[in-house]
Amino acid sequence: MTHTLSLPWTPVALSSDVPPGTVIPAKLSSGPIAVWRTQSGHLSANGDRCPHRGMRLSHGFVRGETLSCIYHGWRFADDGSCTHIPAHPNLTPPSAIKCNPRQAKESGGVIWVADELPDEEPVFFEGYKPLRSLVVAADETSVREATQATDVDSGLAVNHAGTDIRLLVSDLDGEQVFVILLLAENTSPEACVSASRWAEVMRQKAERICNHGETT
Amino acid sequence: MKLYDYILSPSCYKVRLLASLIGAKLDLQSVDFHPGQEHKGDALLTLNPAGAIPILEDGAFVLTESSAMLAYLAATTAPEWEGRETPDMSAKVQQWLAFSHRLTASLGGARLVEMLHGNGDLDALQGAGIAALRELEAALFEQRLAGQSFLVGEQPTIADIACFPYVALAPDGSITLDPYPSIRLWMRAIRSLPGFIEMPGIHRLHDLVPDPQSSKEDH
Repeated sequence: MTHTLSLPWTPVALSSDVPPGTVIPAKLSSGPIAVWRTQSGHLSANGDRCPHRGMRLSHGFVRGETLSCIYHGWRFADDGSCTHIPAHPNLTPPSAIKCNPRQAKESGGVIWVADELPDEEPVFFEGYKPLRSLVVAADETSVREATQATDVDSGLAVNHAGTDIRLLVSDLDGEQVFVILLLAENTSPEACVSASRWAEVMRQKAERICNHGETT
Repeated sequence: MKLYDYILSPSCYKVRLLASLIGAKLDLQSVDFHPGQEHKGDALLTLNPAGAIPILEDGAFVLTESSAMLAYLAATTAPEWEGRETPDMSAKVQQWLAFSHRLTASLGGARLVEMLHGNGDLDALQGAGIAALRELEAALFEQRLAGQSFLVGEQPTIADIACFPYVALAPDGSITLDPYPSIRLWMRAIRSLPGFIEMPGIHRLHDLVPDPQSSKEDH
């Protein structure tokens, strides 16, 4: 059973991994996206392709409230509209030029993105906060087997050395999954480190299971 | 101090980068590495029998390992970059300097195969490179938990400079950096340092230079 894969919102990053004035690459099932935060803190997501020459916009940079393409400096606002073309400084860019805006939302310290605005809100793990994300070159079944996790609403649950861990698992490209680790809000710093190291070992285990059909 | 240098060499760049960050003066002697193979010629073999660059010459004193060059530059010009405040820090710097050779062998090896038609098992090099990047990501994540932006504390050290170039150039070896948020923030912190310089494939942060559009409007 793979319920996380069919969520209307896709978890793409931790809020803390995209500070103001930065852009990161991410993936939706519909294709690669650029997720970025303006200097004032507003979060946006759009297709990872400049409409001018196809350069990945996640290679670009955020200055003030706009995202600039690294190639020829075209600038985009958070609604995907082009605001400036340096080679034609006096031109007001036509409104038809758009960089495919997506829906982006932050909930519980996680950044969620969707192609169209879903009716539902993103899932929320009451009392948990995200620790870190990992890409695992394995399928969800292997992650489940490696961690011996049980199903909870929209995720997996496991207890490691007395620490309650929730896993949000989403498919990246059919060969890899994106995993966000969440821990109870009052987890000690030592237990956070321990959970992170556990996740590293689980990743190796899941990848071995996926590659060799190894069982635990 | 004279550095025998090649613009596309990440190991030469480490030395140039640290020198720029700490304000040390280097005389650069450009070596025709490709296609001239000057590093395999008699003159440079006299300085480094291994036939490799960079080579750092300070009078009669010669160094042929980039990590040693970083240590020498820091010791002579900016001791705070040595990261020797505590025994733990000293040891961690050594740990990362040793680790940096794994990055050179794996990420650098894949880059040589992909960019300069070098020999090697690309799959194995990329696999070793990804394993090293995951270790680095996990370590940098733990640093972030402790409120530290760099490998050995809140301030950059030679450990960061030793590891940064081959990591930043991993995509040259067809190894993506997309899955590593802590590495991304660490590279951003290094690229934000005053005195940061570029090499081909590693550009500066454009958002840190003044907006050319607004300066035009000002005039």
